[in-house]
Amino acid sequence: MIDVQELTKQYAGRTAVNNISFQVEPGEIVGFLGPNGAGKSTTMRILSGYMPATSGRVNVGGFDVFHQSIQVRQSVGYMPENAPLYADMRVKEYLRFRAELKGLSGLTMRRRIGEVMDLTGVTDMRKRLIGNLSKGYRQRVALADALVHKPKLLILDEPTNGLDPVQIRQVRDLLRNLKSKHTVLLSTHILHEVEQTCDRVIMIHQGRIRANDTPANLTRQLRSTTLLHLEIDGIGNLAEKLSAITAVRKTTEEPLLVHPWRHFTLRVEPDHDIRDEVMELAMQQKWRIREMHRQLPTLEDVFVELSMNAGTPTDIPTHVL
Amino acid sequence: MRIFWILLKKELHSFFVSPVAYVVLALVMVLNGFAFRAALSVLENAPSEGSIVSWTFHALWFWLSYFFIFPLLTMRLFAEEKKMGTLETLFTAPVRAWQVVGSKYLAAVIVYCVLWLPSLINFKFAHWITAGQVELPSGAMGGAYLILVVMGMFNLAIGCFASALTSNQIVAAIISFTISLLHFLLGIFIMVVGRKISDTIVDIVNYFAATEHIRIFTAGLIDSRPIIYYLSMSLLFLSFTHHVVEFRRWRP
Repeated sequence: MIDVQELTKQYAGRTAVNNISFQVEPGEIVGFLGPNGAGKSTTMRILSGYMPATSGRVNVGGFDVFHQSIQVRQSVGYMPENAPLYADMRVKEYLRFRAELKGLSGLTMRRRIGEVMDLTGVTDMRKRLIGNLSKGYRQRVALADALVHKPKLLILDEPTNGLDPVQIRQVRDLLRNLKSKHTVLLSTHILHEVEQTCDRVIMIHQGRIRANDTPANLTRQLRSTTLLHLEIDGIGNLAEKLSAITAVRKTTEEPLLVHPWRHFTLRVEPDHDIRDEVMELAMQQKWRIREMHRQLPTLEDVFVELSMNAGTPTDIPTHVL
Repeated sequence: MRIFWILLKKELHSFFVSPVAYVVLALVMVLNGFAFRAALSVLENAPSEGSIVSWTFHALWFWLSYFFIFPLLTMRLFAEEKKMGTLETLFTAPVRAWQVVGSKYLAAVIVYCVLWLPSLINFKFAHWITAGQVELPSGAMGGAYLILVVMGMFNLAIGCFASALTSNQIVAAIISFTISLLHFLLGIFIMVVGRKISDTIVDIVNYFAATEHIRIFTAGLIDSRPIIYYLSMSLLFLSFTHHVVEFRRWRP
């Protein structure tokens, strides 16, 4: 559906996207993830035919985005960041205008507008001026616009930005339902969203792709350590004994909670499960354990790690994260 | 072409839904009323060779409205869409740049033509109330409205271009205002220093001077040169606008 080859985009003196390549297969939901200014929006704007690339080839649905821009735009539903809309139009009027522009007409158009308004939950707002709508409703109107011509590919730039948790959940469900009919490329910096919705994640940072894999694989490959939380009742230097277990990197004792319970946090090498060893040790030493909890790294850790470690000394500082 | 009409409809809609069209219409009607009154008092005081049409369009009131119409009508065309970000939504729909530029321009021209309709009522009314004593020579009427339309097309094209250059409506308005003003001042320049400079320069400047065109056309003399000048300049500025809008899509 999307084939990006060695795409580079330079703005006056600044490289926004640096030689990236990736593919998206039909029917996939792909999350585009990265900190602000990573090059997500730039890539999406190029994909949607709004801006040309400085170099590289981009193919969307078999059409070249530069040379066959009109065909590409017909098969793409694009929702720009912050959902820009005409404030002086009413919701239904706006969707009608957009549907006409995208080549719909007559009864099919009216039916389709009704459908997308139901789908995005703006039917009750159809006669309201867009300028008077809340941010959440505007996002939904923009989404309805992106959907109205049944595009093969949906490109959504931060579709849940500015929504409340309930609305975010609604959008997420909507995207999952769309999966059967559309290919979706969405950008976000909310990691939770990607973990829940996407088949695949492309992490982009400082214009380069840092990772391209399923959310599960990404967290598995993570170099970050797993954490093991323990609450033990025992006497003596427990930390030393715990540290003796091979895969443990570091043991820290938290302040005492309730006597005699002591709380330890162990940093464990990735891909090691030491819970059995801890149990054996506890039995040997006659410790009592009332809590043992293993905390796996989340996508968030991957994200932070990739963003923090990827930079070379000349790169822009990443403290903005 | 279908896309063009859809866009034109939308542009006209945003003119008439927002207060812009009505505010400008009110302004033009008031100033026209003053211009018309000034023309009437000229004719009242002494017999004159000029018709009421030519005196109306020679009044300073007319020129006042002339300066303000173009910036007000064109400043928001592109600047507003750029600022709001809607240009991005617009250009990711299957539309071509010429359709967008053409529809915005044509909508502005249509609104501009509507602005002059009330002045027709003034003339007809004077003609009717004086039982035909205030004459409305068809040459003067035709000439005056013809030159108004082509001059408008020229200034609106400049305004369109100015609006495409910036995302700030005020900047767009000032650019278009300045150009209209300079265009008018050319004629004043000749009036002031005309006798001291060579005739060739006077002729050249008069070729561009809006005041001179108004003088000739409201006398009922239809000269093809200003028409060609204004229309070709409009096309030039529209193609500039097209280039500015397409510039985004240029590849280095």
